[in-house]
Amino acid sequence: MMVSLPTRRADWRLMGRTARLVVTIPAYAAVALAATVAGLTAFSLSLNVSLVVDTLSLPISTGSKVELLVSLYPFVGTAFTPLQGGLLVVVAATLGVNVAMVAYHFREHGLSLQQGGTSVLGAVLGALGAGCAACGSAILLGLLSLVGVSTSLLWLPLDGLEFAVVALLVVVLSTYWLADGMRGGQINGCPVDA
Amino acid sequence: MDDLTRRRLLGGTAGLVAGTAGCVGGDANTDADATPTDRELMTSGSSDVDFDHPSATGINDQPTLGDRSRQGVIVAFEDPSCPSCRRFNQNTFPQIESELLAPGDVAYVFRGYPVVYEWGGPATRALEATFARDPAAVWDLKAHYFDQQGQFSTDNVLDRTRSYLDDATDVDGSAVVTEASEDTTAEAVQADYDAGRAAGASGTPTFYLFRDGEYQTTVSGAQDFTVFENVLLG
Repeated sequence: MMVSLPTRRADWRLMGRTARLVVTIPAYAAVALAATVAGLTAFSLSLNVSLVVDTLSLPISTGSKVELLVSLYPFVGTAFTPLQGGLLVVVAATLGVNVAMVAYHFREHGLSLQQGGTSVLGAVLGALGAGCAACGSAILLGLLSLVGVSTSLLWLPLDGLEFAVVALLVVVLSTYWLADGMRGGQINGCPVDA
Repeated sequence: MDDLTRRRLLGGTAGLVAGTAGCVGGDANTDADATPTDRELMTSGSSDVDFDHPSATGINDQPTLGDRSRQGVIVAFEDPSCPSCRRFNQNTFPQIESELLAPGDVAYVFRGYPVVYEWGGPATRALEATFARDPAAVWDLKAHYFDQQGQFSTDNVLDRTRSYLDDATDVDGSAVVTEASEDTTAEAVQADYDAGRAAGASGTPTFYLFRDGEYQTTVSGAQDFTVFENVLLG
């Protein structure tokens, strides 16, 4: 089976138009927003699961607990640089739109396993990217050393956020395949193909 | 006499000397609000503690700012070559030092955990060798590694370490480099590494927080001052 890639300007226009049509439906906009928040939360908190769990039972005030947990997010606390935080927000937002499109496609047209699977893969890679960004490059370097890549010669310009970049690519691809699957149809009364 | 015991005795003696002689300088202090005197006082001695947690194995032999019997104790696993450790040391640590350590509420224990880039290994050994000679200087050398992180490589780390120690501290840089090269600090480095592994540290920086002698939680990444303040004093 030939894999379709968004190589033409028309492919990107199709993707943008399809996504826009889906998220202008209030119910799916809510899904996109919820998925974005959930994605960003997963990315931000995944590295500190024990801290999050322990915080609930710490002998501190509720206000302190909330302040502590909120500080784990990009741009609130210091765990991520602006570049890392920005990339994670973009991945989360793209994932949110993607999930809304998955939900729409599932309800209206049925959904192939491949399309759903790539969305999940994007989410997992996003979490890995956040983890690598927050703890240095240790996880990524460890994984690469397992497959024989010499870490002494390695330079990671994004300090381990490379996973998040890959996640963004995967989610964008998934979004394109979803849009491609809806080609020729209508969303909320509007034709997908402009 | 094993290496850890020898190091501890040397460290205790050197700490008393450092408290009066002064042995810091250069750019190492530019990233911290605490004055050299504050830092020297904070390294001048500490109570022995017995925390029931793998991360705390042997912490009475580790570089420590403040007294370990304080209300809060941070056991930090850091790698000099780790970019997130650099950001933590430049963004969060100065506030911890001035608002938690200096007032006497919290103690900070450093444990080397070289798991990122290769030059972090010799740098960590040099930190151990420096600690054996001057417990205050180890904090300045650590800050120097983070301040100049982009300049270090496996090939130059020991030469640059020698230059820094000779120029900015009273520590004999050549002796430190010789000890780091000959792996005589390997046992101390391994003790930290084993403690980190046993505690489940999967990356750097990783912090184990104790309050009134009891383990509270684990913090990963260059997290905000708010996290440490709320867990330890909130």
